[in-house]
Amino acid sequence: MNLVAGLDFSILPQQLANGLLLGAIYALIALGYTMVYGVLRLINFAHGEVFMLGSYAALFTSWALGFTPEALKNGAEKPSSWMVLALMLVVSMVVCGLIGVVIERLAYRPMRNQPRIASLITAIGVSLFLQYAGGLFLPQSPPPAISEQVNPYRKDSDNVRLTLKDAPAALKAQAKLLDAEAGKAEAAYRASEQQDPPGHTTAATEDLRQKYQTLERSAQKVEGEVNGQSVKLNIPFGQLIMLITTIVLMLILRHIVMYTRTGRAMRAVSHDFDSASLMGIDVNNVVTVTFLIGSALAGAGAMMYATFLRTNLTPFLGVTPGVKAFVAAVLGGIGNIPGAALGGILMGVVETLVIWLGFSGYKDAVAFVVLIAVLLFRPGGLLGSSKVEKV
Amino acid sequence: MKFWGVRLLSFVLAFGFVYGLDVVTQTAFPNLYRLAVLAGLYVTLAVSLNLINGITGQFSIGHAAFYMIGAYAAGFVSQHMYASQPLGPVLWLVVMMAVGAVFAAIAGIVVGLPSLRLRGDYLAIVTLGFGEIMRIVVQNVDPLGGAYGLNVKPFGEPPKILWLVWLLAVLCIAVCRNLLKTSHGLPFIAVREDEVASAAMGVKTSSVKVTAFVIGSAFAGAAGALLAHSETFISPDTFKMDVSFIILTMVVLGGTGSITGSIMAAVALFAIPEWLRTMQVMIPGSSIVAGILAVGIMVSGFRWVQNNYHESVSKRIGAYLACVVGAAVAAVVLSFVLAFIPQLAQQRLDVAMLRMVIFSMVLIILMLLRPQGVFAHHEFSWDWLSKVLRARKGVTA
Repeated sequence: MNLVAGLDFSILPQQLANGLLLGAIYALIALGYTMVYGVLRLINFAHGEVFMLGSYAALFTSWALGFTPEALKNGAEKPSSWMVLALMLVVSMVVCGLIGVVIERLAYRPMRNQPRIASLITAIGVSLFLQYAGGLFLPQSPPPAISEQVNPYRKDSDNVRLTLKDAPAALKAQAKLLDAEAGKAEAAYRASEQQDPPGHTTAATEDLRQKYQTLERSAQKVEGEVNGQSVKLNIPFGQLIMLITTIVLMLILRHIVMYTRTGRAMRAVSHDFDSASLMGIDVNNVVTVTFLIGSALAGAGAMMYATFLRTNLTPFLGVTPGVKAFVAAVLGGIGNIPGAALGGILMGVVETLVIWLGFSGYKDAVAFVVLIAVLLFRPGGLLGSSKVEKV
Repeated sequence: MKFWGVRLLSFVLAFGFVYGLDVVTQTAFPNLYRLAVLAGLYVTLAVSLNLINGITGQFSIGHAAFYMIGAYAAGFVSQHMYASQPLGPVLWLVVMMAVGAVFAAIAGIVVGLPSLRLRGDYLAIVTLGFGEIMRIVVQNVDPLGGAYGLNVKPFGEPPKILWLVWLLAVLCIAVCRNLLKTSHGLPFIAVREDEVASAAMGVKTSSVKVTAFVIGSAFAGAAGALLAHSETFISPDTFKMDVSFIILTMVVLGGTGSITGSIMAAVALFAIPEWLRTMQVMIPGSSIVAGILAVGIMVSGFRWVQNNYHESVSKRIGAYLACVVGAAVAAVVLSFVLAFIPQLAQQRLDVAMLRMVIFSMVLIILMLLRPQGVFAHHEFSWDWLSKVLRARKGVTA
């Protein structure tokens, strides 16, 4: 009971919305994990690092477009437009796609006939290599961040506001009344203060001051009550763009996978690698395309993560989102594309719920708890088939 | 008679080795003692992970968790109880090793249980996740010092710590070696080779897997207890995921399943970064990029020779040498060319920062060229040595 008593339910919808937005990013990364796993049965540990490199690609693009810390020093303003955001998104996706293809070609393809554990160790090695080689060469101290001026829709007035449940009208009226009264009392107090001789406060002024402060306090109390009883949503417009972009990208992915030749080949390879190659499908080509698409999606996620969620970039940035996205992929059923999207959103929501419950110190551990629970009780994931893997 | 003679000889050799190490490290330059202690801990960790990964074939990549549990359990108990008990420091350290081992073994059971249902990469992920969960929990528990860490200083300098560390390493090696050499170890190997078949032959695969986890994690826990006392300060950052990967690299480099390999790789992979750290040379960024690219060229050359060049041994050795020479030339040329890129040439990097880059490259290159590890599944033995020597003699005679 005590646990529930400390919770603020009026901010729950806002937290859920935040979780949904964060989950959209996780879903984008999870798609890369799940596609690669579906085709190669390989956990691509380096995927989180591709994400990290994507955020740096977005950072460098923003610098190339003139949004450098030097140019924006001392509060200098620089106009931006949606074209800047689109360019950053495209550059980040292209760079990540290429990096993914190169990693596959150099590190994973030679391992294809080895036992799966060998590929897994290679993937860990690539992941560590990108982190620490990135640590040598990428700017990191102080951790750079993409300037918020890149986002043309950052003003508070652009935010999308929704009132889900309003406070009772009587309470609102009372708040308004008290506010007006407090305003009047303040005016009276200020006027009296003006009339006093400088450096001396008369008893009448002191009296007025105390009256004003009491009124102000009760006005604030009622105001707090109004806020507590009404349920509002406040979503920055940038994050709304993020959500829409994610949905569009997922629809494009769905179209590619379900309605194109390449997509059909991908599904065939993921169904049975050897038979697909016997049926004349160029398996290498399919794997390359898979890495290209998966990594490009991670790049899109990275650009939006770094721009709209205003993260400081470090070479180790990719580890945590990478792990959570992997958990999301497993949660949805690894190898299952709609599952990855669902799992990602669930992971985002779970994470914000844990913060809401007051365990923010444990927010990174929850991903693993979810993972272990899923693997133990439903190894196939939510949308996957629940047959136990026999190797 | 011979049996006991050999046992006695092993004991004498083990103690003699540690005594020699003690004398040498204390008389040589001061930091060497600490390095020898840490190297011994890494040997224990690598050999104990090898029991889980290499001998039983359960792919665990969260060994740092057991190390951490041992360190924190022993550190906490030691800090609170040393003053109110009669034991001297050395005996107390032995008791603390036991405490660390017991706590880590309990954690080993907890982690071992999922291994009954999961295998391969999924088990790897679960062990990794367990390690991270443990680390985050410790970070959030205030009596353990939270993120700031825990001071473990019940007495002054821990006495005879090198003895304890290396005797623990020897004990761990002996346990694993004897397990492999006796009938007790056969089920472990059977589970590694084919779990379904061994279950069909009556091997209790569940208990074997959990036992491997318990023994392996107990040794890691004992090592952690000694680490806590020798370093006198531990924090969750001491046991990050990287540590697990370093131990894994040691096992994989040495050859999964080979105890000799694990020991050699642990010492080598511990010594190389420490040696780099003492160099304190600043290298321009362009040279480092050139070096990495040259290594890539060398590896692809090696792979080409491995796969496409089926000539006599001497010709193949010549081809490998050509690859090395070519890579060296490429490194020199590339470092000159890349020096024209001002961003790279002006960046000066400390060699010590290359530590983890080297680890990761070793891991990748090894998987590309020799996935079974340097020693593969072979072990060092006197029989093997005498066979090699005899074969030499036979050739010369």
